[in-house]
Amino acid sequence: MTTSTNTEPETTPTPYRSHLHPTHAGFPRLLHAEWTKFRTVRAWLLVLVAAAVATVLITQLSASGSVTSGGPDAIHGPDGTTVTDSFRFTHRPLTGDGSVTARVTGLKTADDRSVEPWAKAGLIVKSSLRQGSSYAAVLATPGHGVRMQWNFTHDTAGSDSAVTTAPRWLRLTRTGDRLTGYESADGANWSKIEDVSLSGLPKTVQVGLVLATPGHQDVHRSFGGSSQSSGGGRATATYDHLTLRGTSTTTPWTSTDVGAPTPNAPAPHNARPDSTTTVTDGTYTLTGQGDIAPDQGGPDIVQMSFQGVFVGILFMIALGALFVTGEYKRGLIRTTFTATPARLKVLAAKTTVIGAVTFVAGLAAVAVGYTLAQSTLRGNGFGPPAFPDYPLLENPALRAVLGSAALLSLVAVLALAVGVVLRNSAGAIATVVMLVILPQILSFAFPLPAARWLLRVTPAAAFAVQQGVKKYDFTSHNCLPEGGCYPLSPGNGLTVLAAYTAAALLLAAWTVRRRDA
Amino acid sequence: MSDATIEVRGLRKRFGRTLAVDGLSFTVEPGTVTGFVGPNGAGKSTTLRALLGLDAPDEGQALIAGRPYHALRTPLLEVGALLDAAALHPARRGRDHLRWLAHSHGLPVRRVDDVLAQVGLESAARRRAGGYSLGMRQRLGIAAALLGDPPILLLDEPVNGLDPEGIQWIRRLLRRLAAEGRAILVSSHLMSELEDTADHLVVIGRGRLIADTSVSELLHAASGDRVRLRTEARTQAMELLAREGGRVAVTDRDTLIVTGLPASRVVELLTEARVPFAEVGAHRATLEEAYMELTRDKAEFTSATETADEVTR
Amino acid sequence: MRAHHALRPLHAEWTKLRTLPSTWWLLAALVALTLAVGAAAIAPVAADVCPGGTCDEDTVKLSLTGVWMGQAACLILGVLTMGAEYGTGTIRTTLAATPTRWRVLASKATVLALLTAAGGALAVLASILLADALLPDYAPALRPTLGSVLCLTLVALLGLALATMLRDTSGAITLGLGILYVVPLLVTLIPSPTWQHRLERWAPMPAALSIQSTRHLADLPIAPWPGLGVLAAYAAGLLLLAGVLFRTRDA
Repeated sequence: MTTSTNTEPETTPTPYRSHLHPTHAGFPRLLHAEWTKFRTVRAWLLVLVAAAVATVLITQLSASGSVTSGGPDAIHGPDGTTVTDSFRFTHRPLTGDGSVTARVTGLKTADDRSVEPWAKAGLIVKSSLRQGSSYAAVLATPGHGVRMQWNFTHDTAGSDSAVTTAPRWLRLTRTGDRLTGYESADGANWSKIEDVSLSGLPKTVQVGLVLATPGHQDVHRSFGGSSQSSGGGRATATYDHLTLRGTSTTTPWTSTDVGAPTPNAPAPHNARPDSTTTVTDGTYTLTGQGDIAPDQGGPDIVQMSFQGVFVGILFMIALGALFVTGEYKRGLIRTTFTATPARLKVLAAKTTVIGAVTFVAGLAAVAVGYTLAQSTLRGNGFGPPAFPDYPLLENPALRAVLGSAALLSLVAVLALAVGVVLRNSAGAIATVVMLVILPQILSFAFPLPAARWLLRVTPAAAFAVQQGVKKYDFTSHNCLPEGGCYPLSPGNGLTVLAAYTAAALLLAAWTVRRRDA
Repeated sequence: MSDATIEVRGLRKRFGRTLAVDGLSFTVEPGTVTGFVGPNGAGKSTTLRALLGLDAPDEGQALIAGRPYHALRTPLLEVGALLDAAALHPARRGRDHLRWLAHSHGLPVRRVDDVLAQVGLESAARRRAGGYSLGMRQRLGIAAALLGDPPILLLDEPVNGLDPEGIQWIRRLLRRLAAEGRAILVSSHLMSELEDTADHLVVIGRGRLIADTSVSELLHAASGDRVRLRTEARTQAMELLAREGGRVAVTDRDTLIVTGLPASRVVELLTEARVPFAEVGAHRATLEEAYMELTRDKAEFTSATETADEVTR
Repeated sequence: MRAHHALRPLHAEWTKLRTLPSTWWLLAALVALTLAVGAAAIAPVAADVCPGGTCDEDTVKLSLTGVWMGQAACLILGVLTMGAEYGTGTIRTTLAATPTRWRVLASKATVLALLTAAGGALAVLASILLADALLPDYAPALRPTLGSVLCLTLVALLGLALATMLRDTSGAITLGLGILYVVPLLVTLIPSPTWQHRLERWAPMPAALSIQSTRHLADLPIAPWPGLGVLAAYAAGLLLLAGVLFRTRDA
């Protein structure tokens, strides 16, 4: 028999008061708590270190296997960009101010292929006949209307009239350093396309008719690589009403092939057919090939120094997911929410901690990896002038390094947010890998338009941030996913990933508030 | 600030088709240990989670010191809770688990060492929680609950996994904490665990309140004036005692159970009337029996498996 | 009676796998994802890329692109077959019921292989039927079909092996996804021809999926069957290693 000694308290006791001072649970304290949580699980620190080491190591392995024998000397435009500068040029020198006018009456292919959309016929003012010298040109194209282009990397679109269907009047005026391009349908009513300033233009420049057409490109793609064959692409353009106002020293027009038409073409298959210029009754007929554009085909040694990020990202995904799914798995999340009932603040603190930790570790890894890889690549033949120096603290290298660290960090936060929604590490890790990595693999397998679309709308777009060579959309370059080309600009690519991460965080915030813990 | 009370008012919570808590109301006063009893699945944990703001009630309120949990600015200083002792990251040291909790309220690390000493876990504090026994986890969980020195404690099955010595320790601890004027709610599915510990009992079954009573009242009611009587003259005794206001039940050929009359009065009456009897015993119930007595009346309460049927109807 | 005895762990493993809700979700995901990606891959071809039925694209391979996505479901299924037991501690109950450990692993592998083969066959056949309906001159072949199903089965076994070795679900899934996705990505994007060459032959992916090719077979870095053989060797080798570890380690 048990005798209970319990009795109701005879008097109402004084309620207890905590002896600790109530300190406001502010956000910095929450950060401190989450950071302590992160730091006190040794496996997570090891994963972070492993991520950094793997990033550096794979980057280095990849760089050490890349060798170049140098290749032909690259041509650089006035701003240092590697360029293609070869075209048929019918020209006269012009000293001082003046203007040149002509009507382009036709542009058609001179071989059995269809005319290239980026074939160019028009007027140019060029500081010399040397390849890579500064210039400004008004150009009629078959597929992209009338353009004013200058110094290779600048382009302004005029009207979209196609030179293959209607003749087009063009005019280029020089006043000091200023060059102004005009176009007209009838030679009477002129509209200005663009007004540009070319600094350092000499007093005497070469002025005249220009014809260029990039080679035709055939792409055969299969997983694991693609072959591109380019060739042919000769074009013929006709001009009339050619007039030059200003001081010109020689009367007759002379014709020159600026540069080799196809600098990389292996002989004899793509041997350069003769370019010609004929004049009949004031009608000039130019036949030739080549292109005046940034060269987008060469290896990008900035991008080549970030291969390890593809491996590092995997660790960051696991880390971001486990930082929160580990709490759900063991019910620890209830302790967390009991200590801090403001769940959104907890989510914000977790996001901040995992974002900062992965950014710092990622930044260290990619900076070291980049520096080592650059020096290895230099030793393997990737040297100036074909491959100029890209110092770490200057763009584009700085942008690529910071962007890669941001990419690693955003992906970790994305995994964290997906982890909050799914509350399961396997699901979160697999989902994020499929969002970030799988689209790239599928882009190798998918037909080109679908592949490019995939790299625009999935978080994989963010890898564009590693590109060192700026991609210009006014060139005929084939942007192939397997060549490491991403259709979006670095900034926009990273923004796509940031948008996914933000959306996932919003969803996480919504579920974490709405659901019982 | 209101008093350190726990208050549940008309709480209702449904999970899918199961009604986990169905209109539950009770109050826990400062200075008492209140046992929160019911079989597994009765809705105890759901009620505690609602009090801690982890589950949102469908109806009603679960208040700590007069406020819903999410309105507390520094919850660890107002409520200490132990929900699930296994809720630890196995790779984190016991001490580090308390440290992050302390950081979340800006409490000094000294406080971590204080509570570790209080629960007798100093020696294991620097080991990884994955290697802890269930008893050590319970102690760490109680340390976490005590971290903010709170006036209110909510403990879900704190005795689980403790050895006899540990059970004695926790009883003494809870009595002492209550004596300091704290309000303590301790859930259990075994009434015997609360013997010697609880002052007051909240008994629930299938999410509904069955009893809200002090332990002494319950024991008194259960033992009440049940008297067991053995006599050869069964019919005679029954007539006599019924006439004097007792209720008499026959359990055996020669045994009667008398309620409504104290044992002394039964002896007196039988002696006066010269009715022979062999034995008269006053029955004193244990808490466990009191609980069984209490729940026997609730026909639907006898088996937790009936719950599902009832809900689907 | 003896046969019955030998089949008992097999029956037990089948019951365990069958009663995990994730199993059926993953099998549904396998079929849905494979079919969806396959459809997305052939849609542009069906629409405009090859008018007049003169496709340069390897349409059979293209229609089976979904295997790239479906294999993730197989991997996770394989990992959870063992990982779920370590995560919940059920492994001790399992080993108490069937103390011969290699028999436990062999039973798990058998049940898993049969289940993923069935799910994989459904996914692959659905993709082929869809392509047959959408593409004008589509000629399905036995090797890519059978090979894709085998590939999915082997990936599941790879997952089982990784989970048994690591005894941790997240670790096994991360490592497995690395093998399935990151390595093939590096194979293509790595600028080093030396490493490209090595990885193309010796990494399980994408070598295994050369089994899907029906055109330009001479240009493949590794022939179809030897390619699948690489994956089979990885799966078998790791499963063997996992078996040795499983026998020698404490549960």
